[in-house]
Amino acid sequence: PSHSYTGQGGQESEDYESEEQLQRRILTAALEFVPEHGWTAEAIAEGAKTLGLSVAAAGMFHSDGSELILHFVSECNAKLSELLEKEQKLVQLGEAEKKPTDEFLRDAVEARLRMLIPYIEKWPQALSVLLLPRNIPSSLSLLTSMIDDIWHYAGDQSTDFNWYTRRAVLTSIYNTAELVMLQDSSPGFEDTWRFLENRVADAMNMSHTASQVQSTGEAVVQGLMGAAVTVSSAETSRALR
Amino acid sequence: AALWLCRARPLLCPGRGVPRPLRGLAAGPEMHFGFQSVTEEERREKIYQVFESVAKKYDVMNNSMTLGIHRVWKDILVHKMNPSPGTLLLDVAGGTGDIAFRFINYVRSVRERQLQRKLKHHQDLSWQEIFENYQEDKSNSLGDSQVVVCDINREMLKVGKQKAQHLGYSEGLSWVLGNAEELPFDDDKFDVYTIAFGIRNVTRIDLALQEAYRVLKPGGRFLCLEFSHVSNPLLSRLYDLYSFQVIPVLGEVIAGDWKSYQYLVESIRQFPPQEELKAMIEDAGFFKVDYENLNFGIVAIHSGFKL
Repeated sequence: PSHSYTGQGGQESEDYESEEQLQRRILTAALEFVPEHGWTAEAIAEGAKTLGLSVAAAGMFHSDGSELILHFVSECNAKLSELLEKEQKLVQLGEAEKKPTDEFLRDAVEARLRMLIPYIEKWPQALSVLLLPRNIPSSLSLLTSMIDDIWHYAGDQSTDFNWYTRRAVLTSIYNTAELVMLQDSSPGFEDTWRFLENRVADAMNMSHTASQVQSTGEAVVQGLMGAAVTVSSAETSRALR
Repeated sequence: AALWLCRARPLLCPGRGVPRPLRGLAAGPEMHFGFQSVTEEERREKIYQVFESVAKKYDVMNNSMTLGIHRVWKDILVHKMNPSPGTLLLDVAGGTGDIAFRFINYVRSVRERQLQRKLKHHQDLSWQEIFENYQEDKSNSLGDSQVVVCDINREMLKVGKQKAQHLGYSEGLSWVLGNAEELPFDDDKFDVYTIAFGIRNVTRIDLALQEAYRVLKPGGRFLCLEFSHVSNPLLSRLYDLYSFQVIPVLGEVIAGDWKSYQYLVESIRQFPPQEELKAMIEDAGFFKVDYENLNFGIVAIHSGFKL
């Protein structure tokens, strides 16, 4: 329900804000304090303080920081979509080259993972909270929609089984790269980016290998057929002699 | 004013046929005092007398009536509050200080954990710096948190102050004589407002809720712990049996005061149920109003925010 936020003097301010909007503002303000306090009610309390609200406002949220983490993930996904949208516009206007698929995927995943860097120390805590049964529906849906977004901007228009394969592959690439990043101490996370590059390359090769295997298979079958025909005709001709 | 005594209440069906006043407002001059019908002024006076007489035995009676469970309820309230150091709490009808002491303990332990974490982070401190940190600790074990205990009844406050001295609570605690319907505090002062087992005894609940809204800071939280209604029929019968048969007897045996505990039990039945209280809290202007039943509704914690 929208209401007006009454200021100290009892005068109503111009902007009408709903409960959800206010909650989102508090969570955004709280992100600043996460590196110090972790994904906790304390960070939310500090965030509320910066907005001029009482620290008790943190009581609106769960004490394990679930809402804060989910809010952060959804904000990051939104930022990624914006970024990909902008890039697509540039390509459409002819101001940029269309990237090959592997490069596109690599850059998109890297951009998304880079958003974790300021919070990387406390991110393992966040991941464990996201895996709580209570949060799994939300965290899973955020993950799948992000992956879907990336493939959409990569130009995927498949309507067959490939749709599932592509998303499963990219999801596993993203998850494994995220885990590598948590333990990466190399300068500028270069180990992670190299890992990412290799995984994307593997995925690309796998699809080539798959079609190779198929054509090899066909060749083998044809060879066997030919051998069988040769053997049977040789038998027949010997029997006839 | 009409004053009819309904002593001969059939034991198995209490609470029926008694006119219930409008939500939080006096229906004309008639108000309820337990199952009696009285005027506003009479009600206030009678309640003052009740608590004046029970003050000394208040804690003992609480423990025996609720079999000690009231302590758990109060712990849950403070846990739900989850106060961070620096919180300013107003505990209304806080009488003997139960909520205030729990608040202080909670904040103290949170502060200790905070300081431990801070020290762990700073691995290479010189001895001088460590010494200074510990000095700071001593003078700031509560992290600037404070609780103001406000009660309308002098006797209850007296008992509370004595308890505080006895248990060793001194800093961050103040005692104020005041009426929940007209609090002696400025606007937008407190982070949290609690009223535990007190709102039932307030004559104009709507005024108390409005005052709560007034004295809370924007973003502040209202928490109310109170006896409420049990919807489970079997449990409700057992609870009624226990309330009307056992509690007044305990009152007579332990505190020598049957009437006060009869009032207590009756007032619980007269108090609005969960949803109605929630609506009243929303009327006062609070948002995100919610309640949590404890022990199947024997007790409920209502929470709202001033947004």
